[in-house]
Amino acid sequence: MTEFRNNSRFALWVACALPLAAFAGSDSIDQKVAADATGEVVISNVAGTIDVRGWDRNEVQVTGTLGRGVERVDVVPSNGRTVIKVILPRGSSHDGDADIEVSVPKGSSVEVSAVSADVSSHGVLGTQRLKSVSGEVTADISGNESEVSSVSGDVTVRGDGKPISLRVKSVSGSLDLTNTAGRVDVVTVSGDARVHMGDTSEVRGRTTSGDLQVTGKLTRDGRVDVEGVSGDITLRLSAPGGLSMDIESFSGDIEGCLADKVERVSKYGPGVRLNVRTVEAGARVRAKTLSGDIDICDR
Amino acid sequence: MNIRRVNRIDQLAQNVPPARDLWPAIAAAIEVDRAGALAESAPRRTRWLPAAGMAAAVALVTLGVFIGRISTPTPDTVAGLTPVQGEASIMPAALRDANYRKQRDALLVEVNTQLKAMPAAEREKVAASLATLRRSIGEIEAALGRDPANALLQELLVSSCQEEMRALTAVRDSGSQEI
Repeated sequence: MTEFRNNSRFALWVACALPLAAFAGSDSIDQKVAADATGEVVISNVAGTIDVRGWDRNEVQVTGTLGRGVERVDVVPSNGRTVIKVILPRGSSHDGDADIEVSVPKGSSVEVSAVSADVSSHGVLGTQRLKSVSGEVTADISGNESEVSSVSGDVTVRGDGKPISLRVKSVSGSLDLTNTAGRVDVVTVSGDARVHMGDTSEVRGRTTSGDLQVTGKLTRDGRVDVEGVSGDITLRLSAPGGLSMDIESFSGDIEGCLADKVERVSKYGPGVRLNVRTVEAGARVRAKTLSGDIDICDR
Repeated sequence: MNIRRVNRIDQLAQNVPPARDLWPAIAAAIEVDRAGALAESAPRRTRWLPAAGMAAAVALVTLGVFIGRISTPTPDTVAGLTPVQGEASIMPAALRDANYRKQRDALLVEVNTQLKAMPAAEREKVAASLATLRRSIGEIEAALGRDPANALLQELLVSSCQEEMRALTAVRDSGSQEI
């Protein structure tokens, strides 16, 4: 009798535990909805990964695995806008991982929000606004007026060489931009930033303690305006017709192939500057630091 | 030689013609005097003219300034302030500064709350960045204390304060990111 009672208890426990175990384990998603070729896709996920891919179909497809702690993924199309949201149970802290891959029409505009989730995006031609708090962001960017931002995550952006307007910001993450063109705005506090550009008309950069490196070609009337506090700035720039330069550091040094033209700001106080004025040069470079060094060369 | 003795003065000849014509010499002397008088009067006028011109210019400038002060509204007038209120025209800058500090303090409270909610490693990284910004601002302010007129330092201070607000806002908003 006792043995029967024990077996019954065990069976009851198994019966109760099985659904819980299934709930606690990972799940998967595979959902597809119709979408506009140039519609908007909004994606949010707290933790895990978000992988966005542009494709030739007028559909949005969401596939992936949902970790424990994720309740479901909502995919809601409405008036040319598709919202994809990873839902955590009410009152849950940010610990539900979901790894999702989202295929979107390549002409779509994409907006992604993540907390610790890593974000990647490839093959999307429309405007992209990618935000993460601590996750890494890696993206191919082609759309005008695109923006990538993070708080502590690193950001890697690759342009397609066509001129667009692009803003990339971080607090402590590092920024790496390659093959960008057009107008580029880069801001970081303590992360390092590296910008390698094609024919660029305007670059604005700002760093506090991180190092900033800008290399590449400016258009004939291009502008580079960079500023640092204690971070070092490296500029390797060229432009048809040459460059006019206005470089100054309060207590840092100015180095590079134009170092012989550097002069002291005052006889007794700190400060060095480099002013190069060329009549035919339409492109202008302006760089300022407090204590960071500036390494500049125009070839 | 016929010599006649003269006993009285009226016995002398009344008309004695000069041995040569004296008029050309007299006329020449008169002409020289007239030319001299003309030459003297001309420099006197040129000395007087610049002084008069300068006086007129000064008068015009004074008049212009006077008219300008009357017709151009002063900042107080533009602001619609009475002179008594106008004395407080320094206040907006101070108010702006106080407003900035107030907003920053409020932002810091929210940022600290948000930092506490972050994982330890991330919190440490972000807090270090914010501390770096604050330290940089302090360094610039210290340098400005030694060199208040330095345009580069002024520019760096403004952009660093703006950057701090941007970074604080980014950290604060990371908690309310639409998820």
